[in-house]
Amino acid sequence: MNLFRSEEHIARWLGDREPGSTIPVTTLADLATRWWGDRLSSDWQPRTRDENQAILTALDLSSPFWRLP
Amino acid sequence: MDAKEVELRNLTYSLVVELGRAPTAAEVAERAASPIDVVVAGWRRLHQQHALVLAAATDELRMANPFSAVPTAYRVRAAARWWYANCAWDAFGICAALHTDGRIETSCPDCGEPLALEVRGGRPDEESLLFHCLVPAVQWWDDIGFT
Repeated sequence: MNLFRSEEHIARWLGDREPGSTIPVTTLADLATRWWGDRLSSDWQPRTRDENQAILTALDLSSPFWRLP
Repeated sequence: MDAKEVELRNLTYSLVVELGRAPTAAEVAERAASPIDVVVAGWRRLHQQHALVLAAATDELRMANPFSAVPTAYRVRAAARWWYANCAWDAFGICAALHTDGRIETSCPDCGEPLALEVRGGRPDEESLLFHCLVPAVQWWDDIGFT
């Protein structure tokens, strides 16, 4: 789960490996806010798998690649 | 996850923030007024539930996601401290968890060029960067260190 300057850098880094998923850093920032924003709350409770999936779906991360187990 | 496990998890995370690093099992045990073996047993249950990650060799913390207990390629300046994140997602996550602005420093895994970005109000100041996730979500926890 890394940051890259461009698609060219990603392709060179991947080499012969199958690509995963590439998203804009702005989407990543939104994802992090929704995913981790409650992590230090004193009333923190674990989220369900479906709640986590809903966070991904809300950011249009709904392809099979982003499907949680 | 039962109430005692949530309590141990929340104490562990609060100590990460208080100390600016991952607490040892002994430090958590002292704060909880509990034997170390009880803390380690609780951590093992939390590890199994993906609420934190233990180092296999030591039973000490490896990750209290988004925080890393060990040095990584993702350094984050936030809340007047430097932190290590487990990955790019977690680097933003440290700012999000602390509810503060910050600075992320890393390097391109391809060319090694330094990358630095400021996070203000949850938004990066360098919006042209790309995030690549290699491992499909269904496999993230197969090997979370690799993921």
